[in-house]
Amino acid sequence: MTTEVLWWIFAVAIVAVSAGVVFARTVIHSAIFLILSLAGVGAMYLFLTIEFIALVQFLIYGGAVTVLILLALMLTRMASSGEPEPTTGVQAPFGALVALGLMATLIGVAVSTAWPGDLGQNAVAVSIETIGEAMFQDFGAPFMITGALLLVAFIGAIVIARQEDDE
Amino acid sequence: MVPMENYLVLSGIIFSLGVYGVLARRNAVLVLMSVELMLNAVSLNFVAFAAYLDPDKATGIVFAVFVIAVAAAEVGLALAIVIRLFRNRSTANVDEAATMRW
Repeated sequence: MTTEVLWWIFAVAIVAVSAGVVFARTVIHSAIFLILSLAGVGAMYLFLTIEFIALVQFLIYGGAVTVLILLALMLTRMASSGEPEPTTGVQAPFGALVALGLMATLIGVAVSTAWPGDLGQNAVAVSIETIGEAMFQDFGAPFMITGALLLVAFIGAIVIARQEDDE
Repeated sequence: MVPMENYLVLSGIIFSLGVYGVLARRNAVLVLMSVELMLNAVSLNFVAFAAYLDPDKATGIVFAVFVIAVAAAEVGLALAIVIRLFRNRSTANVDEAATMRW
């Protein structure tokens, strides 16, 4: 019972801070809201009793990705022109329309579908052994390819962002 | 435990907020942050499905790990492109980056 109350508190908070990310006036506020939203989704993984993903979420998103985003914000700050930059473009009403339609569709499908094999209240915790076996046996080859993808992506990022002297 | 539909509705709301951010905001870094929101909603969906429908094989959890890894690669590359754009054009506004070459 208390778990459900806590879940609802977290769910409302996550929706609020996620709205903060897209509606905040300044980009730094958006970044701070993003950190809170990512941490909230990590807490959702804890509610699902899958601690491994929660840990990965806190480490990679809460640590690495937000630091990268803050660094990029710092490097691309408008050189203190005084006036605030426009936050949304002329596309905003159409974007809101699309997002509202998508939200209605997703919620409608999620609620009205009878999910086959739904364990509901009887859901059991996924053990870390199961995750390890799935990751390194069933998905061993994709796992190694993901490592190669990360290496290539970060070499590419260095090449793209490098300062060239002859420019 | 909370029923699975609650997680699906929550992730649907986060995903739609991310879609709005991608379509409406003009700062390139903010568009990226909205993409991160969408990716997070998707992996929450995967993990909820894995926990409620398929706890013996944990396929959805492996998918979530892949989503996180690809998101890390994506954010690194995209921020490099944004920094490059800012250095060349002195703007991080996606509407002003309209030419294919310069």
